[in-house]
Amino acid sequence: MKRKNLDKNPFSTPKGYFDNFEDNLMAKLSKETSRIPENTGFTVPPSYFDDFQSKLNAKLKKDTEVKNDKKVKVIQLKPYKKFIGIAASIAALVLMAIGIDWNSKDAIEFADIANSDIESYFENHDLDLSVDEIAEVIPVDGMEIYDFIDISMNEENILDYLNENVEDIEELNIENNE
Amino acid sequence: MIAEETLVKELKSKDTQSHAFEVLVSTYKERLYWHVRRIVLNHDDADDVLQNTFIKVFRNIEGFKGDSKLFSWMYRIATNEALSFLKQKTKKLGVSDIDYQEKMVENLQADVYFEGDEIQLKLQKAIAKLPEKQKLVFNMKYYEDLKYEEISEILNTSVGGLKASYHLAIKKLENYLTQD
Repeated sequence: MKRKNLDKNPFSTPKGYFDNFEDNLMAKLSKETSRIPENTGFTVPPSYFDDFQSKLNAKLKKDTEVKNDKKVKVIQLKPYKKFIGIAASIAALVLMAIGIDWNSKDAIEFADIANSDIESYFENHDLDLSVDEIAEVIPVDGMEIYDFIDISMNEENILDYLNENVEDIEELNIENNE
Repeated sequence: MIAEETLVKELKSKDTQSHAFEVLVSTYKERLYWHVRRIVLNHDDADDVLQNTFIKVFRNIEGFKGDSKLFSWMYRIATNEALSFLKQKTKKLGVSDIDYQEKMVENLQADVYFEGDEIQLKLQKAIAKLPEKQKLVFNMKYYEDLKYEEISEILNTSVGGLKASYHLAIKKLENYLTQD
């Protein structure tokens, strides 16, 4: 036998083996003398673990589809509502242009004007603003085609849409309350 | 068995993600199942929680920085999922945690997936009375043979605190089981 090999220890232990030795020994001893059963008695249905992966894949797929559906853009039914703020700005410009005496005691504050009045003003008056003037107050960012098209939907259209796009329409519990 | 670093790398890459996820599930499903089952007690609930756990792992693997072991990270998600599940149940039913646990233990007698004898049923009754931390530590140490260092990483508690919780739990359970 070669002498140099006697000095070498070819064996090793898992990392932290000696650090945990006492804990492991005590745990084993306490289990041997304990009245606490080593088995809980729980079982699983036959082949549960074999079928788990395919069940999980199906759930993951469904979960992904639901997430993607949630990302679908919601179209506003009354898109012009977002223009009320912009319309208010234009109305302010118009009021300034027609020269209201702001120092008079009975002067109308801008906050006194109802949104419906502003909307009505735009519907019934020709503002005669140039394209450049409109461009100055209306931000181009965030504008979409639906902002210019008034989509009117009747109840039947809405129900058809829900029927096609909602997985279980019964869950919506739609009732005719009339 | 595939090295953890390699598995994480493959899980983060679109090309290898699908296969790596299968390996991950196959490696950890049983350990995580039993961990969750001992918390929620009922098989169907454990199945739900386990599936949600793996879905969370899959969705959040990009955010896994490797500060802890993948195994500890998954155990932490599974534990949180199981505890959240119990909280939702108690909230929905308007009962306290302990009342819900005791009710679940009573249901075990009629559970087809519980084949425990009288002493095993008595053990579950005793575990139900333990505070949450003691319950978790007891199950993870006694039944899952996890090291204190591993439990410490999962539950974010000091090893000293865990040892104290475990010994208290064992003492309480022994006392309960020796009572007639």
